[in-house]
Amino acid sequence: MPVPIQPIPLWEQTVTELGVILTGAILVCGFALAYFRRIRMERPPVGAFNARDVVFLLVIIGILPFVYGWLPVPLVTCLLCLASVSALHIGYRPLLGRTGIWLGIGLLIGFNIWSSDHLMGTLPGWQLWFAEQGVAVVLIAVAVCNLYVQGGMKLRHVAWLSLGLAGYDVLFAAYYPLTGRLIARYLTHPLIPLVGMRFGYVDYAVGLGDLLVYSLFFVAAYKSYGARAAAIAGGVVVVAGGCATAFIPLLFNFTNANLDDLIPAQSLFGPAAFATYWWMKRHYGRERTMAEYWASSGPEAAAPQVEQAPVSEPATA
Amino acid sequence: MFDTGVRQFRLALGMAQGRRLDPANVARLVDDALATIAEFGEPGGDVDEITNGPIANPEARLELATVALRRTARRLAAQSPFYARRFTAADIDPAKLEIAGLRTIPVTVKADLIERPRDFRCADVPPYLATRTTGTTGRPAEVWLSRYEMELWPALGALSGVLRNELRPGDVMQVNLSSRATAALHLSAVGCRLAGAGFRPLGIVPPDEALDSLADGSTTILFTCPSYLAELVTAARRRGAAAGDFRLRRITVGGEVLSASLARAATRMFGVPLIDDPYSMTEIAPVNGRTCSRAHQHYDPGMGYTELIDLDTGESAAPGALGTLVITPYFPYRDCMPVFRYDTRDVARRLPDGPLSCEMSGIPATSQILGKADHLLRLPDGEIVSPRRLIEAIEALPTEPWPARYRAGVGGGRIQLTLPAGAIAGYGEAEARHHFAAAGLDIALDLVGDEEASSLRRTRSDLHETTFAGQHALVGA
Repeated sequence: MPVPIQPIPLWEQTVTELGVILTGAILVCGFALAYFRRIRMERPPVGAFNARDVVFLLVIIGILPFVYGWLPVPLVTCLLCLASVSALHIGYRPLLGRTGIWLGIGLLIGFNIWSSDHLMGTLPGWQLWFAEQGVAVVLIAVAVCNLYVQGGMKLRHVAWLSLGLAGYDVLFAAYYPLTGRLIARYLTHPLIPLVGMRFGYVDYAVGLGDLLVYSLFFVAAYKSYGARAAAIAGGVVVVAGGCATAFIPLLFNFTNANLDDLIPAQSLFGPAAFATYWWMKRHYGRERTMAEYWASSGPEAAAPQVEQAPVSEPATA
Repeated sequence: MFDTGVRQFRLALGMAQGRRLDPANVARLVDDALATIAEFGEPGGDVDEITNGPIANPEARLELATVALRRTARRLAAQSPFYARRFTAADIDPAKLEIAGLRTIPVTVKADLIERPRDFRCADVPPYLATRTTGTTGRPAEVWLSRYEMELWPALGALSGVLRNELRPGDVMQVNLSSRATAALHLSAVGCRLAGAGFRPLGIVPPDEALDSLADGSTTILFTCPSYLAELVTAARRRGAAAGDFRLRRITVGGEVLSASLARAATRMFGVPLIDDPYSMTEIAPVNGRTCSRAHQHYDPGMGYTELIDLDTGESAAPGALGTLVITPYFPYRDCMPVFRYDTRDVARRLPDGPLSCEMSGIPATSQILGKADHLLRLPDGEIVSPRRLIEAIEALPTEPWPARYRAGVGGGRIQLTLPAGAIAGYGEAEARHHFAAAGLDIALDLVGDEEASSLRRTRSDLHETTFAGQHALVGA
């Protein structure tokens, strides 16, 4: 006998969505900061994140949705798989070692692909799939966040990136609903870049990109200006990234073609992040470099290289 | 970060394919390296892959050398009249050249360069800058360099200098080399510009003027030759200077033998941890050698092929034997007036077979340079005495007669050593003989007046340049 579906009040959806966003944001920001403080990633001999990289990222982010929309779904899954494996390998090889990392990646991605085909159809199945999906996405976001910040990304870069993404979000979520179409096309497929959960018959989720920007802002603020700045950045994430995003459906109707609510989160967070960065720059001054951060975080991290004087071998001729 | 990756890929691809590199791309990589150090305080991991190349594996190194030698020989056969004739005469097919067969190609000597310089110039490259060897060992040779070389070499040098912390923004490099060393000066100037460092070319001016400049608090790097460094140390002692009077962090010398006693005195006087003593030569640039903490001379295998040829047989020197360095710079690093199997006449000892224990163990090495082959002394009992051994012994005299002025020959089964009287003043001939005997040298000592000192052994510091403030003499007044 079919179960009658009762409409869920908007305020209840709002509170649930807030819970999902905050859970994702707190997990990603918290783990990203813990990683940043404890693990130093390998980096290439030459190369530091710069302003051109922000432009490059924005261009890639602008192009990718069209590519994903154009490519067949299995090929997109392969690309997502490749990107996920790369991020996980770079991020967790220092923790797990050569064997452990491949075992971990195999289990995580393998279960994700299997569960995407076998667990749907029941609420617990959906919830288990969302949970496992969330673990993978959180791990990826933590790794990429540290790759960028430990690669030299400054708070200034994050602020400009957020501002650029604000425009992107308004364009692609509100006016040209490509993001919504992509989610509708790829939901239930493996490695969809979302952290979410199903309650009843409604899915609540926050995107990997949003979580990545929140964690970048949070960790870059910590690196640049210290714990107090990170606390302020965390507050901005909660208010502008979490609360405003969750509560905005109460004020505006962001309904897309699939009758799902899709909130352009960055359009709210970007200006707030940029304003916060501007204030921090005026208040705290120049951002710390990674070298200055290491120097302030422990004597072993700042140990100078000692040059050896030559020990001459006799030239007997 | 992303564009840096693209630039590194372009550089690596150009090197692997043996095509001309883009100097502007390398210069931008210098900017990237500076930005990296500004952010992180040091380059990232695997920096040796850039500064030394992926050459730790001997088999890979051999393969790289074979490919690079064939590429270089092919170009020379097509563009260099001298080598077109030489390869034809030796019946060499450059495309099938093997390292084992290199010996069939006669070595190129300095006399070839002096007698037929135009034959060495490649037809496809317009010459840009002429530079001359100093001529301390005979007639100077003139070497023409292209604009490409003069843009590429300083960019590659600045990149490795920045990555090795040899050159940084804020550094000021003072160069006390002959002002006629046009290539060295040009390369240093451009390298400093790319690295954001200051450049102060002074020439071989009166040492007190150079010391005034060193003591003004801005100079952090000194680039000179050992004989002039000796003059600087002597002049600094005379004026009562100490390490605290200078802000130097690095001294680099080249072109002559640097003795351990002079190096020790210079490090103490100028407050630097060590004296860099790399190996380089105008004719075989940009191939160079670096000294490790075990005093080996390591030769960059990415830019050229280095052989150590037995002095008597012309075959590869056996482990422990002396040999002369024969070097072939690879295309695309050398393109205007390249040489192939150039006999530098610089003598070194082949190290024993087996792995090295130094920090550059992946890079081919010999002993330190022991001096010019033509200045070796062969004693009747078969012992060979090198200029380095004599210079080390003379400069270790308690009188500290730097730079060593001497004439040496073999007579009566012994080394006939002529020194200026000042070299042992207050020490005595008997003590001096004991000193040399302790160094394993059986000598017959001959003393001449100090006014003859500079005629005994010519050094690069003899190329003094007058200034209005410190000219040596007024002529025609």
